[in-house]
Amino acid sequence: MITTLAIVAFLAAYILIATERIHRVAAAFWGAAAMVVLGQVTSESAFFSEETGIEWNVIFLLLGMMILVGVIKQTGAFEYLAIWSAKRARGKPFRVMVMLVVITAVASALLDNVTTVLLIAPVTLLVCDRIGAPAIPFLISEAMASNIGGAGTLIGDPPNIIIASRAGLSFNDFLLHMLPIVVVLLVVFIGLMKLMFGKQLVYDAERAADLMRLSEKEAIHDRRLLISSGVILAGVMVGFVTHSITGLDPSMVALLGAGAAVAVSRLEPRDYLADVEWSTLAFFAGLFVMVGGLVHTGIIADMGDWLTDRLGTNWLLGSTVLIWISGALSAIVDNIPYVATISPLVADLTHGASGAGPESLWWALALGADLGGNATAVGASANVVVIGIAARNGHRISFWTFTKYGLIVATVTIAVAWGYLALRYFALA
Amino acid sequence: MRARELAKPFPTVTLETDALVAAATMGERDLPGLVVLDKEGRPFTVVPASQVLRFVIPGYVQDDPHLARVYDEEAADRFCQKLAAVTIGDIIGTKRPDDYDHLPVVDADAKLVEVAAVMARNRSPLALVTEGDEPVGVIRIGTLLGKLLPTTAEQVPDALPDYPASSPDQP
Repeated sequence: MITTLAIVAFLAAYILIATERIHRVAAAFWGAAAMVVLGQVTSESAFFSEETGIEWNVIFLLLGMMILVGVIKQTGAFEYLAIWSAKRARGKPFRVMVMLVVITAVASALLDNVTTVLLIAPVTLLVCDRIGAPAIPFLISEAMASNIGGAGTLIGDPPNIIIASRAGLSFNDFLLHMLPIVVVLLVVFIGLMKLMFGKQLVYDAERAADLMRLSEKEAIHDRRLLISSGVILAGVMVGFVTHSITGLDPSMVALLGAGAAVAVSRLEPRDYLADVEWSTLAFFAGLFVMVGGLVHTGIIADMGDWLTDRLGTNWLLGSTVLIWISGALSAIVDNIPYVATISPLVADLTHGASGAGPESLWWALALGADLGGNATAVGASANVVVIGIAARNGHRISFWTFTKYGLIVATVTIAVAWGYLALRYFALA
Repeated sequence: MRARELAKPFPTVTLETDALVAAATMGERDLPGLVVLDKEGRPFTVVPASQVLRFVIPGYVQDDPHLARVYDEEAADRFCQKLAAVTIGDIIGTKRPDDYDHLPVVDADAKLVEVAAVMARNRSPLALVTEGDEPVGVIRIGTLLGKLLPTTAEQVPDALPDYPASSPDQP
Protein backbone atom coordinates (compact mmCIF):
# COMPACT_ATOMS: atom_id res chain seq x y z
CA MET A 1 0.00 0.00 0.00
CA ILE A 2 2.76 2.41 1.00
CA THR A 3 4.68 1.47 -2.14
CA THR A 4 1.65 2.21 -4.31
CA LEU A 5 1.16 5.55 -2.57
CA ALA A 6 4.80 6.44 -3.15
CA ILE A 7 4.53 5.60 -6.85
CA VAL A 8 1.33 7.66 -7.15
CA ALA A 9 3.01 10.58 -5.35
CA PHE A 10 5.98 10.34 -7.72
CA LEU A 11 3.74 10.32 -10.78
CA ALA A 12 1.72 13.25 -9.44
CA ALA A 13 4.87 15.29 -8.82
CA TYR A 14 6.23 14.33 -12.24
CA ILE A 15 3.01 15.44 -13.93
CA LEU A 16 3.18 18.74 -12.05
CA ILE A 17 6.77 19.23 -13.26
CA ALA A 18 5.90 18.31 -16.84
CA THR A 19 2.76 20.44 -17.06
CA GLU A 20 4.27 23.36 -15.12
CA ARG A 21 0.98 23.84 -13.29
CA ILE A 22 3.11 24.90 -10.34
CA HIS A 23 6.77 25.94 -10.35
CA ARG A 24 8.99 22.93 -10.95
CA VAL A 25 10.96 23.56 -7.75
CA ALA A 26 7.75 23.42 -5.71
CA ALA A 27 6.67 20.27 -7.56
CA ALA A 28 10.01 18.52 -6.95
CA PHE A 29 9.98 19.55 -3.28
CA TRP A 30 6.42 18.30 -3.01
CA GLY A 31 7.46 14.93 -4.47
CA ALA A 32 10.50 14.76 -2.19
CA ALA A 33 8.38 15.59 0.87
CA ALA A 34 5.87 12.88 -0.07
CA MET A 35 8.70 10.35 -0.22
CA VAL A 36 9.89 11.41 3.23
CA VAL A 37 6.39 11.24 4.72
CA LEU A 38 5.81 7.80 3.16
CA GLY A 39 9.02 6.50 4.67
CA GLN A 40 10.88 5.94 1.39
CA VAL A 41 13.58 8.49 2.19
CA THR A 42 15.60 9.15 5.34
CA SER A 43 18.19 11.84 5.98
CA GLU A 44 20.84 9.15 5.58
CA SER A 45 19.59 8.06 2.15
CA ALA A 46 18.83 11.61 0.96
CA PHE A 47 22.13 13.22 1.90
CA PHE A 48 24.70 10.43 1.97
CA SER A 49 23.60 7.59 -0.31
CA GLU A 50 25.33 7.43 -3.68
CA GLU A 51 22.51 5.35 -5.15
CA THR A 52 19.38 7.05 -3.88
CA GLY A 53 20.56 10.40 -2.50
CA ILE A 54 21.21 13.89 -3.80
CA GLU A 55 23.99 13.80 -6.40
CA TRP A 56 26.18 16.45 -4.85
CA ASN A 57 28.70 16.06 -7.65
CA VAL A 58 26.04 17.17 -10.13
CA ILE A 59 24.89 20.11 -8.02
CA PHE A 60 28.38 21.42 -7.27
CA LEU A 61 29.55 20.92 -10.84
CA LEU A 62 26.64 23.08 -11.99
CA LEU A 63 27.29 25.66 -9.26
CA GLY A 64 30.98 25.91 -10.15
CA MET A 65 30.32 26.29 -13.86
CA MET A 66 27.59 28.89 -13.26
CA ILE A 67 29.99 31.03 -11.22
CA LEU A 68 32.70 30.62 -13.84
CA VAL A 69 30.27 31.72 -16.55
CA GLY A 70 29.27 34.71 -14.42
CA VAL A 71 32.88 35.89 -14.60
CA ILE A 72 33.52 35.00 -18.24
CA LYS A 73 30.46 36.84 -19.52
CA GLN A 74 31.81 40.10 -18.07
CA THR A 75 34.72 39.98 -20.53
CA GLY A 76 32.77 40.69 -23.74
CA ALA A 77 34.65 37.81 -25.42
CA PHE A 78 31.46 36.34 -26.86
CA GLU A 79 30.45 39.58 -28.48
CA TYR A 80 33.95 39.99 -29.87
CA LEU A 81 34.03 36.47 -31.27
CA ALA A 82 30.58 36.67 -32.85
CA ILE A 83 31.20 40.00 -34.60
CA TRP A 84 34.71 38.99 -35.65
CA SER A 85 33.40 35.78 -37.21
CA ALA A 86 30.52 37.58 -38.95
CA LYS A 87 33.06 39.97 -40.46
CA ARG A 88 35.23 37.03 -41.53
CA ALA A 89 32.14 35.74 -43.35
CA ARG A 90 32.06 39.13 -45.17
CA GLY A 91 28.43 39.62 -44.14
CA LYS A 92 27.15 36.81 -46.38
CA PRO A 93 24.08 35.63 -44.43
CA PHE A 94 24.45 31.87 -44.70
CA ARG A 95 28.16 31.99 -43.94
CA VAL A 96 27.46 34.25 -40.96
CA MET A 97 24.82 31.80 -39.79
CA VAL A 98 27.27 28.90 -40.04
CA MET A 99 29.89 30.83 -38.08
CA LEU A 100 27.45 31.77 -35.32
CA VAL A 101 26.06 28.24 -35.14
CA VAL A 102 29.54 26.73 -34.82
CA ILE A 103 30.46 29.24 -32.09
CA THR A 104 27.22 28.40 -30.27
CA ALA A 105 27.78 24.66 -30.53
CA VAL A 106 31.38 24.86 -29.31
CA ALA A 107 30.47 27.20 -26.47
CA SER A 108 27.56 24.96 -25.47
CA ALA A 109 29.92 22.02 -25.20
CA LEU A 110 31.97 24.00 -22.67
CA LEU A 111 29.27 26.03 -20.92
CA ASP A 112 25.63 25.57 -20.13
CA ASN A 113 23.24 25.89 -23.09
CA VAL A 114 21.02 28.59 -21.68
CA THR A 115 23.96 30.83 -20.83
CA THR A 116 25.35 30.31 -24.30
CA VAL A 117 22.18 31.39 -26.07
CA LEU A 118 21.75 34.31 -23.65
CA LEU A 119 25.17 35.51 -24.75
CA ILE A 120 24.89 34.81 -28.47
CA ALA A 121 21.30 35.96 -29.13
CA PRO A 122 21.76 39.73 -28.55
CA VAL A 123 24.85 39.93 -30.77
CA THR A 124 23.04 37.84 -33.39
CA LEU A 125 20.21 40.37 -33.46
CA LEU A 126 22.75 43.13 -33.94
CA VAL A 127 24.46 41.29 -36.80
CA CYS A 128 21.13 40.50 -38.48
CA ASP A 129 20.06 44.14 -38.20
CA ARG A 130 23.31 45.17 -39.82
CA ILE A 131 23.27 42.74 -42.74
CA GLY A 132 19.51 43.04 -43.23
CA ALA A 133 18.89 39.33 -42.65
CA PRO A 134 15.82 37.88 -40.92
CA ALA A 135 16.75 37.13 -37.32
CA ILE A 136 14.36 34.25 -36.72
CA PRO A 137 16.23 31.58 -38.75
CA PHE A 138 19.46 32.57 -37.00
CA LEU A 139 17.95 32.38 -33.52
CA ILE A 140 16.20 29.06 -34.13
CA SER A 141 19.43 27.60 -35.53
CA GLU A 142 21.41 28.77 -32.52
CA ALA A 143 18.99 27.24 -30.03
CA MET A 144 19.24 23.94 -31.88
CA ALA A 145 23.02 24.19 -32.20
CA SER A 146 23.31 24.72 -28.45
CA ASN A 147 21.35 21.50 -27.84
CA ILE A 148 23.47 19.57 -30.34
CA GLY A 149 26.79 21.01 -29.13
CA GLY A 150 25.85 20.50 -25.50
CA ALA A 151 25.53 16.78 -26.15
CA GLY A 152 29.23 16.56 -26.91
CA THR A 153 30.70 16.77 -23.42
CA LEU A 154 29.95 15.76 -19.86
CA ILE A 155 29.39 19.37 -18.83
CA GLY A 156 27.50 20.50 -21.96
CA ASP A 157 24.01 19.51 -20.93
CA PRO A 158 22.57 18.69 -17.48
CA PRO A 159 21.30 15.23 -18.60
CA ASN A 160 24.91 14.33 -19.45
CA ILE A 161 26.05 15.33 -15.96
CA ILE A 162 23.37 13.10 -14.42
CA ILE A 163 24.23 10.20 -16.74
CA ALA A 164 27.96 10.54 -16.01
CA SER A 165 27.29 10.52 -12.30
CA ARG A 166 24.91 7.54 -12.38
CA ALA A 167 26.98 5.49 -14.84
CA GLY A 168 30.40 6.41 -13.51
CA LEU A 169 31.45 7.85 -16.88
CA SER A 170 34.30 10.33 -17.09
CA PHE A 171 34.75 13.56 -19.04
CA ASN A 172 37.04 11.68 -21.41
CA ASP A 173 34.43 8.95 -21.95
CA PHE A 174 32.10 11.64 -23.25
CA LEU A 175 34.84 13.10 -25.45
CA LEU A 176 35.54 9.69 -26.96
CA HIS A 177 31.97 8.52 -27.40
CA MET A 178 29.80 11.61 -27.78
CA LEU A 179 32.02 14.27 -29.34
CA PRO A 180 32.68 12.41 -32.63
CA ILE A 181 28.99 11.96 -33.37
CA VAL A 182 28.23 15.51 -32.26
CA VAL A 183 30.72 16.83 -34.83
CA VAL A 184 29.00 14.74 -37.51
CA LEU A 185 25.58 15.94 -36.32
CA LEU A 186 26.73 19.53 -36.52
CA VAL A 187 27.75 19.07 -40.16
CA VAL A 188 24.39 17.40 -40.88
CA PHE A 189 22.62 20.24 -39.09
CA ILE A 190 24.41 22.86 -41.18
CA GLY A 191 23.18 21.03 -44.28
CA LEU A 192 19.65 21.09 -42.88
CA MET A 193 19.97 24.81 -42.17
CA LYS A 194 20.78 25.40 -45.84
CA LEU A 195 17.70 23.44 -46.89
CA MET A 196 15.36 25.02 -44.33
CA PHE A 197 16.52 28.64 -44.34
CA GLY A 198 18.71 29.08 -47.44
CA LYS A 199 16.05 30.85 -49.50
CA GLN A 200 15.35 33.40 -46.77
CA LEU A 201 18.97 34.55 -46.66
CA VAL A 202 19.77 37.14 -49.30
CA TYR A 203 23.12 38.89 -49.55
CA ASP A 204 23.06 42.69 -49.65
CA ALA A 205 26.50 44.17 -50.35
CA GLU A 206 25.57 47.59 -48.98
CA ARG A 207 24.31 46.13 -45.69
CA ALA A 208 27.34 43.88 -45.47
CA ALA A 209 29.48 47.02 -45.57
CA ASP A 210 27.57 48.23 -42.49
CA LEU A 211 28.65 45.10 -40.68
CA MET A 212 32.27 45.61 -41.61
CA ARG A 213 32.19 49.01 -39.87
CA LEU A 214 31.51 47.45 -36.47
CA SER A 215 34.46 47.52 -34.13
CA GLU A 216 34.50 44.18 -32.33
CA LYS A 217 37.59 45.08 -30.30
CA GLU A 218 35.53 47.66 -28.43
CA ALA A 219 33.42 44.86 -26.93
CA ILE A 220 36.37 43.90 -24.76
CA HIS A 221 37.04 46.54 -22.15
CA ASP A 222 38.98 44.54 -19.59
CA ARG A 223 41.82 42.64 -21.23
CA ARG A 224 43.24 41.51 -17.91
CA LEU A 225 39.96 39.82 -17.00
CA LEU A 226 39.69 38.30 -20.47
CA ILE A 227 43.16 36.76 -20.28
CA SER A 228 42.87 35.56 -16.70
CA SER A 229 39.42 34.02 -17.14
CA GLY A 230 40.50 32.45 -20.45
CA VAL A 231 43.46 30.83 -18.71
CA ILE A 232 41.21 29.60 -15.90
CA LEU A 233 38.67 28.13 -18.33
CA ALA A 234 41.48 26.34 -20.16
CA GLY A 235 42.77 25.08 -16.81
CA VAL A 236 39.33 23.77 -15.93
CA MET A 237 39.14 21.88 -19.23
CA VAL A 238 42.58 20.39 -18.56
CA GLY A 239 41.35 19.45 -15.08
CA PHE A 240 38.34 17.62 -16.57
CA VAL A 241 40.49 15.75 -19.09
CA THR A 242 43.17 14.75 -16.56
CA HIS A 243 40.70 13.32 -14.04
CA SER A 244 42.27 9.86 -14.26
CA ILE A 245 45.67 11.32 -13.28
CA THR A 246 44.64 13.87 -10.66
CA GLY A 247 41.67 11.97 -9.23
CA LEU A 248 39.74 15.23 -9.06
CA ASP A 249 36.06 14.84 -9.89
CA PRO A 250 34.53 17.35 -12.34
CA SER A 251 32.67 19.03 -9.49
CA MET A 252 35.93 19.70 -7.65
CA VAL A 253 37.59 20.99 -10.83
CA ALA A 254 34.66 23.32 -11.52
CA LEU A 255 34.65 24.65 -7.95
CA LEU A 256 38.40 25.24 -8.04
CA GLY A 257 37.96 27.06 -11.35
CA ALA A 258 35.12 29.15 -9.95
CA GLY A 259 37.19 30.02 -6.89
CA ALA A 260 40.15 31.04 -9.02
CA ALA A 261 37.94 33.13 -11.31
CA VAL A 262 36.37 34.91 -8.35
CA ALA A 263 39.79 35.53 -6.82
CA VAL A 264 41.36 37.08 -9.91
CA SER A 265 38.32 38.91 -11.28
CA ARG A 266 37.91 41.36 -8.40
CA LEU A 267 34.20 41.36 -9.22
CA GLU A 268 31.54 41.88 -6.59
CA PRO A 269 29.55 38.81 -5.43
CA ARG A 270 26.39 40.25 -7.01
CA ASP A 271 28.14 40.12 -10.40
CA TYR A 272 29.58 36.61 -10.36
CA LEU A 273 26.63 35.13 -8.47
CA ALA A 274 24.08 36.72 -10.81
CA ASP A 275 24.27 33.73 -13.15
CA VAL A 276 23.83 31.09 -10.48
CA GLU A 277 20.38 29.62 -11.00
CA TRP A 278 19.57 28.78 -7.41
CA SER A 279 16.13 27.53 -8.40
CA THR A 280 17.71 25.01 -10.80
CA LEU A 281 20.04 23.72 -8.08
CA ALA A 282 17.14 23.41 -5.64
CA PHE A 283 15.11 21.63 -8.33
CA PHE A 284 17.91 19.10 -8.82
CA ALA A 285 18.11 18.44 -5.07
CA GLY A 286 14.34 17.85 -4.82
CA LEU A 287 14.37 15.72 -7.95
CA PHE A 288 17.15 13.46 -6.71
CA VAL A 289 15.34 12.85 -3.43
CA MET A 290 12.10 12.18 -5.29
CA VAL A 291 13.74 9.70 -7.68
CA GLY A 292 15.69 8.13 -4.78
CA GLY A 293 12.37 7.44 -3.07
CA LEU A 294 11.03 5.80 -6.21
CA VAL A 295 14.13 3.61 -6.48
CA HIS A 296 13.64 2.64 -2.82
CA THR A 297 10.12 1.36 -3.56
CA GLY A 298 11.69 -1.33 -5.76
CA ILE A 299 9.60 -0.47 -8.83
CA ILE A 300 12.68 0.51 -10.82
CA ALA A 301 14.33 -2.85 -10.03
CA ASP A 302 11.12 -4.68 -11.00
CA MET A 303 10.92 -2.76 -14.28
CA GLY A 304 14.60 -3.51 -14.88
CA ASP A 305 14.00 -7.23 -14.32
CA TRP A 306 11.00 -7.17 -16.62
CA LEU A 307 12.96 -5.40 -19.36
CA THR A 308 15.94 -7.70 -18.88
CA ASP A 309 13.67 -10.71 -19.40
CA ARG A 310 12.34 -9.19 -22.61
CA LEU A 311 15.58 -7.78 -24.00
CA GLY A 312 17.98 -10.41 -22.78
CA THR A 313 21.31 -9.39 -24.27
CA ASN A 314 19.77 -7.75 -27.32
CA TRP A 315 21.47 -4.44 -26.55
CA LEU A 316 20.90 -3.11 -30.05
CA LEU A 317 17.16 -3.37 -29.57
CA GLY A 318 17.55 -1.77 -26.14
CA SER A 319 19.59 1.14 -27.55
CA THR A 320 17.16 1.61 -30.42
CA VAL A 321 14.13 1.75 -28.14
CA LEU A 322 15.93 3.98 -25.65
CA ILE A 323 17.21 6.59 -28.13
CA TRP A 324 13.85 7.01 -29.86
CA ILE A 325 11.71 6.96 -26.72
CA SER A 326 14.09 9.36 -24.99
CA GLY A 327 13.98 11.63 -28.03
CA ALA A 328 10.18 11.59 -28.18
CA LEU A 329 9.72 12.18 -24.45
CA SER A 330 12.37 14.89 -24.26
CA ALA A 331 10.53 16.75 -27.00
CA ILE A 332 7.51 17.01 -24.76
CA VAL A 333 8.81 17.10 -21.18
CA ASP A 334 11.91 18.49 -19.55
CA ASN A 335 14.76 16.09 -20.23
CA ILE A 336 16.32 16.60 -16.77
CA PRO A 337 13.61 14.84 -14.71
CA TYR A 338 13.26 12.26 -17.48
CA VAL A 339 16.95 11.35 -17.37
CA ALA A 340 17.03 11.49 -13.57
CA THR A 341 14.15 8.96 -13.50
CA ILE A 342 15.31 6.66 -16.26
CA SER A 343 19.00 6.55 -15.23
CA PRO A 344 18.44 4.13 -12.32
CA LEU A 345 16.54 1.87 -14.74
CA VAL A 346 19.41 1.89 -17.24
CA ALA A 347 21.84 1.28 -14.36
CA ASP A 348 19.74 -1.74 -13.41
CA LEU A 349 19.65 -3.05 -16.97
CA THR A 350 23.41 -2.76 -17.44
CA HIS A 351 24.29 -3.99 -13.95
CA GLY A 352 26.88 -6.75 -14.11
CA ALA A 353 27.16 -6.52 -17.90
CA SER A 354 30.21 -5.12 -19.64
CA GLY A 355 31.30 -4.33 -23.17
CA ALA A 356 30.17 -2.06 -25.97
CA GLY A 357 26.57 -3.33 -26.02
CA PRO A 358 25.53 -2.42 -22.47
CA GLU A 359 27.53 0.81 -22.60
CA SER A 360 25.65 1.84 -25.73
CA LEU A 361 22.48 2.18 -23.62
CA TRP A 362 23.96 5.14 -21.76
CA TRP A 363 24.95 6.86 -25.00
CA ALA A 364 21.51 6.12 -26.45
CA LEU A 365 19.94 7.78 -23.43
CA ALA A 366 22.22 10.81 -23.65
CA LEU A 367 21.77 11.27 -27.40
CA GLY A 368 18.00 10.76 -27.31
CA ALA A 369 17.47 13.12 -24.36
CA ASP A 370 19.82 15.84 -25.67
CA LEU A 371 18.72 15.80 -29.31
CA GLY A 372 15.01 15.27 -28.63
CA GLY A 373 14.90 18.71 -27.01
CA ASN A 374 15.18 20.26 -30.47
CA ALA A 375 11.86 18.84 -31.63
CA THR A 376 9.52 21.41 -30.11
CA ALA A 377 9.60 24.99 -28.88
CA VAL A 378 9.36 23.76 -25.27
CA GLY A 379 11.64 20.76 -25.61
CA ALA A 380 14.71 22.48 -24.15
CA SER A 381 15.36 25.48 -21.93
CA ALA A 382 17.54 27.07 -24.63
CA ASN A 383 14.58 27.07 -27.05
CA VAL A 384 12.34 28.82 -24.54
CA VAL A 385 15.01 31.42 -23.74
CA VAL A 386 15.69 32.20 -27.41
CA ILE A 387 11.99 32.56 -28.17
CA GLY A 388 11.71 34.99 -25.24
CA ILE A 389 14.64 37.12 -26.41
CA ALA A 390 13.25 37.16 -29.95
CA ALA A 391 9.82 38.30 -28.72
CA ARG A 392 11.32 41.12 -26.63
CA ASN A 393 13.04 42.39 -29.75
CA GLY A 394 10.00 42.29 -32.00
CA HIS A 395 10.57 38.88 -33.65
CA ARG A 396 7.74 36.53 -32.75
CA ILE A 397 8.58 32.83 -33.04
CA SER A 398 5.38 30.85 -32.58
CA PHE A 399 5.32 27.35 -31.11
CA TRP A 400 4.65 25.89 -34.55
CA THR A 401 7.21 28.01 -36.36
CA PHE A 402 9.88 26.51 -34.14
CA THR A 403 8.39 23.04 -34.05
CA LYS A 404 8.05 22.60 -37.82
CA TYR A 405 11.82 23.01 -38.13
CA GLY A 406 12.52 21.26 -34.83
CA LEU A 407 10.75 18.05 -35.80
CA ILE A 408 12.88 17.78 -38.94
CA VAL A 409 16.13 18.47 -37.11
CA ALA A 410 15.36 16.16 -34.17
CA THR A 411 14.24 13.28 -36.39
CA VAL A 412 17.23 13.51 -38.74
CA THR A 413 19.83 13.97 -35.98
CA ILE A 414 18.42 11.12 -33.86
CA ALA A 415 18.35 8.88 -36.93
CA VAL A 416 22.00 9.69 -37.66
CA ALA A 417 22.89 9.17 -34.00
CA TRP A 418 21.10 5.80 -34.04
CA GLY A 419 23.14 4.84 -37.12
CA TYR A 420 26.29 5.78 -35.21
CA LEU A 421 25.30 3.59 -32.25
CA ALA A 422 24.46 0.65 -34.49
CA LEU A 423 27.69 1.00 -36.41
CA ARG A 424 30.15 1.74 -33.62
CA TYR A 425 28.83 -0.47 -30.82
CA PHE A 426 27.41 -3.39 -32.79
CA ALA A 427 28.44 -3.67 -36.46
CA LEU A 428 32.06 -2.66 -35.84
CA ALA A 429 32.36 -3.71 -32.20
CA MET B 1 2.78 76.55 -1.14
CA ARG B 2 0.30 75.09 -3.65
CA ALA B 3 0.81 73.49 -7.04
CA ARG B 4 -0.71 76.44 -8.95
CA GLU B 5 2.05 78.74 -7.69
CA LEU B 6 4.75 76.61 -9.32
CA ALA B 7 2.89 75.69 -12.52
CA LYS B 8 4.25 77.17 -15.73
CA PRO B 9 3.23 76.78 -19.38
CA PHE B 10 4.96 73.83 -20.99
CA PRO B 11 5.31 72.42 -24.54
CA THR B 12 2.77 69.78 -25.50
CA VAL B 13 2.50 67.17 -28.20
CA THR B 14 -0.29 64.86 -29.36
CA LEU B 15 -0.25 61.17 -30.13
CA GLU B 16 0.05 62.10 -33.81
CA THR B 17 3.08 64.37 -33.37
CA ASP B 18 6.12 63.27 -35.32
CA ALA B 19 8.47 61.58 -32.83
CA LEU B 20 11.52 63.21 -34.38
CA VAL B 21 10.02 66.69 -33.85
CA ALA B 22 9.18 65.84 -30.25
CA ALA B 23 12.67 64.46 -29.57
CA ALA B 24 14.32 67.46 -31.22
CA THR B 25 12.20 69.80 -29.07
CA MET B 26 13.33 68.02 -25.92
CA GLY B 27 16.93 68.20 -27.06
CA GLU B 28 16.99 71.85 -28.07
CA ARG B 29 15.05 73.11 -25.05
CA ASP B 30 16.69 70.74 -22.57
CA LEU B 31 13.34 69.30 -21.45
CA PRO B 32 13.10 66.13 -19.34
CA GLY B 33 9.89 65.12 -21.12
CA LEU B 34 6.79 66.41 -22.86
CA VAL B 35 3.10 66.56 -22.04
CA VAL B 36 0.96 64.46 -24.37
CA LEU B 37 -2.60 65.64 -25.07
CA ASP B 38 -5.43 63.59 -26.53
CA LYS B 39 -7.67 64.68 -29.41
CA GLU B 40 -9.86 66.71 -27.06
CA GLY B 41 -6.84 68.57 -25.73
CA ARG B 42 -6.94 66.81 -22.35
CA PRO B 43 -3.75 65.45 -20.80
CA PHE B 44 -3.16 61.89 -21.96
CA THR B 45 0.19 61.21 -20.31
CA VAL B 46 3.76 62.47 -20.01
CA VAL B 47 6.46 61.07 -22.27
CA PRO B 48 9.84 61.19 -20.51
CA ALA B 49 12.94 61.61 -22.66
CA SER B 50 14.24 58.26 -21.35
CA GLN B 51 11.27 56.52 -22.98
CA VAL B 52 12.29 57.97 -26.33
CA LEU B 53 15.80 56.58 -25.76
CA ARG B 54 14.39 53.16 -24.91
CA PHE B 55 12.57 53.21 -28.24
CA VAL B 56 15.61 54.36 -30.19
CA ILE B 57 18.19 51.99 -28.71
CA PRO B 58 17.56 48.37 -29.76
CA GLY B 59 16.47 46.05 -26.96
CA TYR B 60 19.43 43.74 -27.53
CA VAL B 61 21.85 46.61 -26.92
CA GLN B 62 20.01 47.47 -23.71
CA ASP B 63 20.29 43.78 -22.70
CA ASP B 64 24.00 43.54 -23.49
CA PRO B 65 25.94 46.72 -22.71
CA HIS B 66 29.08 45.32 -24.40
CA LEU B 67 27.34 45.74 -27.75
CA ALA B 68 26.84 49.49 -27.40
CA ARG B 69 30.60 49.95 -27.72
CA VAL B 70 30.98 48.25 -31.11
CA TYR B 71 28.92 50.79 -33.07
CA ASP B 72 30.33 53.66 -35.09
CA GLU B 73 28.97 57.22 -35.03
CA GLU B 74 26.94 56.58 -38.14
CA ALA B 75 24.96 53.94 -36.30
CA ALA B 76 23.79 56.52 -33.76
CA ASP B 77 22.42 58.63 -36.63
CA ARG B 78 20.66 55.58 -38.02
CA PHE B 79 19.07 54.78 -34.67
CA CYS B 80 17.69 58.31 -34.52
CA GLN B 81 16.33 57.96 -38.03
CA LYS B 82 13.90 55.42 -36.57
CA LEU B 83 12.09 58.38 -35.04
CA ALA B 84 11.40 59.93 -38.44
CA ALA B 85 8.99 57.16 -39.36
CA VAL B 86 6.97 57.08 -36.13
CA THR B 87 4.71 59.22 -33.97
CA ILE B 88 4.59 59.76 -30.24
CA GLY B 89 1.66 57.32 -30.19
CA ASP B 90 3.93 54.61 -31.64
CA ILE B 91 6.41 55.16 -28.82
CA ILE B 92 4.09 55.27 -25.84
CA GLY B 93 1.14 53.25 -27.15
CA THR B 94 -2.25 54.72 -27.85
CA LYS B 95 -4.16 52.86 -25.15
CA ARG B 96 -5.29 55.25 -22.46
CA PRO B 97 -4.25 54.10 -18.99
CA ASP B 98 -7.25 52.46 -17.30
CA ASP B 99 -6.52 54.10 -14.03
CA TYR B 100 -6.40 57.88 -13.69
CA ASP B 101 -3.70 57.36 -11.07
CA HIS B 102 -1.34 56.45 -13.90
CA LEU B 103 -1.37 60.09 -15.02
CA PRO B 104 0.97 62.52 -13.25
CA VAL B 105 -1.84 65.03 -12.76
CA VAL B 106 -2.42 67.09 -9.62
CA ASP B 107 -5.05 69.58 -8.60
CA ALA B 108 -4.05 73.25 -8.52
CA ASP B 109 -4.63 73.22 -4.75
CA ALA B 110 -2.34 70.24 -4.17
CA LYS B 111 0.46 70.68 -1.65
CA LEU B 112 4.02 70.12 -2.80
CA VAL B 113 4.31 66.74 -1.07
CA GLU B 114 1.25 65.60 -3.04
CA VAL B 115 2.94 66.73 -6.25
CA ALA B 116 6.11 64.90 -5.24
CA ALA B 117 4.14 61.73 -4.45
CA VAL B 118 2.45 61.77 -7.86
CA MET B 119 5.79 62.27 -9.65
CA ALA B 120 7.43 59.49 -7.64
CA ARG B 121 4.57 57.05 -8.20
CA ASN B 122 4.54 57.68 -11.94
CA ARG B 123 8.32 58.03 -12.26
CA SER B 124 7.60 61.21 -14.14
CA PRO B 125 9.89 64.23 -14.36
CA LEU B 126 6.81 66.44 -14.83
CA ALA B 127 3.49 66.93 -13.09
CA LEU B 128 0.47 68.43 -14.82
CA VAL B 129 -1.56 70.92 -12.80
CA THR B 130 -5.28 71.28 -13.52
CA GLU B 131 -8.14 73.19 -12.01
CA GLY B 132 -11.23 71.10 -12.67
CA ASP B 133 -10.86 70.29 -16.38
CA GLU B 134 -8.85 73.44 -17.10
CA PRO B 135 -5.07 73.09 -17.51
CA VAL B 136 -3.05 75.44 -15.31
CA GLY B 137 0.50 74.45 -16.23
CA VAL B 138 3.30 72.02 -15.54
CA ILE B 139 5.75 71.60 -12.66
CA ARG B 140 9.24 70.33 -13.47
CA ILE B 141 10.97 68.07 -10.98
CA GLY B 142 13.90 70.47 -10.47
CA THR B 143 11.55 73.31 -9.63
CA LEU B 144 9.67 71.11 -7.20
CA LEU B 145 12.81 69.94 -5.39
CA GLY B 146 14.04 73.51 -5.07
CA LYS B 147 10.84 74.52 -3.30
CA LEU B 148 10.25 71.27 -1.44
CA LEU B 149 13.60 71.27 0.34
CA PRO B 150 14.27 74.94 1.16
CA THR B 151 15.90 74.17 4.51
CA THR B 152 18.20 71.56 3.08
CA ALA B 153 18.92 73.77 0.09
CA GLU B 154 20.30 76.46 2.40
CA GLN B 155 22.70 73.94 3.87
CA VAL B 156 24.07 72.97 0.47
CA PRO B 157 27.42 74.57 -0.34
CA ASP B 158 27.40 77.25 -3.03
CA ALA B 159 28.86 74.92 -5.61
CA LEU B 160 29.01 71.15 -5.54
CA PRO B 161 32.13 69.62 -7.05
CA ASP B 162 31.88 68.96 -10.77
CA TYR B 163 32.12 65.55 -12.42
CA PRO B 164 34.90 65.21 -13.35
CA ALA B 165 36.51 67.46 -10.77
CA SER B 166 38.22 70.39 -12.48
CA SER B 167 42.00 70.59 -11.93
CA PRO B 168 43.46 73.77 -10.39
CA ASP B 169 45.11 74.90 -13.64
CA GLN B 170 41.84 74.68 -15.54
CA PRO B 171 39.75 77.83 -15.78
